[in-house]
This record gives sequence, C-alpha cells and structure tokens, in this order.
Amino acid sequence: MNHYELLFVLRPTLTDEETKIEIEKIQSNIIAQDANIVVTDDMGMRKLAYPVEKNERGHYTVVYFQALGIAIAEIERLLRINEEILKFLTVKYTNKKDIAQFTKITEAISKKNTPAPAKEEVVVTEETSAIEETPVTEVEEAPVTEETQAIEEATTNKEA
Amino acid sequence: MAERRKFKKRYCKYCEQKVEFIDYKELNSLKFSLSERFKIMPRRLTGNCKRHQELVTVAIKRARQTALIPYVIDRKKVVENPFEIIR
Repeated sequence: MNHYELLFVLRPTLTDEETKIEIEKIQSNIIAQDANIVVTDDMGMRKLAYPVEKNERGHYTVVYFQALGIAIAEIERLLRINEEILKFLTVKYTNKKDIAQFTKITEAISKKNTPAPAKEEVVVTEETSAIEETPVTEVEEAPVTEETQAIEEATTNKEA
Repeated sequence: MAERRKFKKRYCKYCEQKVEFIDYKELNSLKFSLSERFKIMPRRLTGNCKRHQELVTVAIKRARQTALIPYVIDRKKVVENPFEIIR
C-alpha cells in the first residue's frame, strides 16, 4: 500500500449540499478501490489564481489515503468523467521522510477537524461574501460626494 | 566592489530551518522562492542549496497546476499587490 494525497477543485456554482454529496461520492469511489482514507481536509472556497473554465473561484478538498498503485488509474478516470471537477492532482509519498511528513500532516488535520469543523466553514463563507459586497459600494460613493461638495463650496465662495 | 555584490552572503534558508519536505499547499513557504511576477527565483539570487531548490521547484509547479499560484502575471492582468493572492 502506498501513501497518496488527492487534491480536487469543485465548481463554485454548486450549493453546499451538492458539494458535500460530490465529496462523499469521490470518497466512496476511493474506498471502492480497496483503499483506506486517512483524513479529508476541506480547504473551503478559494479564489483561483487564474480562471479555469471561466470560473474565478473553486472549492478545494484534499483527501489523504493509502491505496495500491493500480487503484489510482481508476480513481483518476472517474474524476475525469465528473464534470463538476475543475482540477485534480494526486501526489505519491515515496520516501521514508515523505511518509513521516504524511503522518504528521494527517495528524495535524485530524486534530483540526475534531473540535468544530462546522464553525470554521461558516466564518470563511461570511468573510468572503462580506469582502466582495461592502467595499465596492463604499469606495464608489464616498469620493464622489466629497468632490461634489468641495466643488459646490468653491463655487459658492466665488459667487460670494 | 559595492556594485558587484548586490546580495548578502548566501545561505540556504530552508537548510537553516531544517525543512525536509515542502508542501505545495503551504504557499507561505513557497513565497520566498517566487519573484513578484511569480517566476521561480534562480538559486544564484535566493541562495538556496540544490536539494531544496529542487524541492521548491516541484512544489511551485504543483501549486501552479492546481491554480493556487498563477503561471504568469503579465501586463494584461496586473495585480497591485501580487502576494495578496496568497493567503
């Protein structure tokens, strides 16, 4: 059994429930290949560094698992068929040092997941939505009003 | 002499911290080896040792593939704070 790490990016257009279902589907696909999943890390919605299929954002998930080498081809085949996935990447941990890191990372994530995973997700989504909406309107409105006021004052002064 | 030596004495930052493995998802660790335009900085400027440079390049290329880091930043899409993308 080799140690693997699979990262995939889901479409931002999916609802929370749909993304959950998709993630579970992929997990079940991995389990079907006689693999055992160690942990799954939900990185949440992130801005993509460059647009992928005209999407600016994506939902990142990382699955750490142990599987045989043959299983990867089938898992990747199923990922390619799935149209909700923008990108995916499997990484194999080969050396002893890498595997030591693998256990370290997985332990850290499992610790992080146990206390309150639901709260974190909520906070992230709120922050992103707030950042998108609020500043744009403020920036557009504020300077215009100041300028117009200044101009008005200037004109009134001149007249006076 | 002053002009010839633009960079300080070279040492590998990753060796100093005893990094054994560079995760492509930890963007802050890659940031050091990236230029403002997200090119991979050469070893002669960063002072990385060969082993760590190879680890970093692999990590950066993986991060690019998964859209965590842009491949290029050109004049068409200029970002004011390029490292703002990295969180």
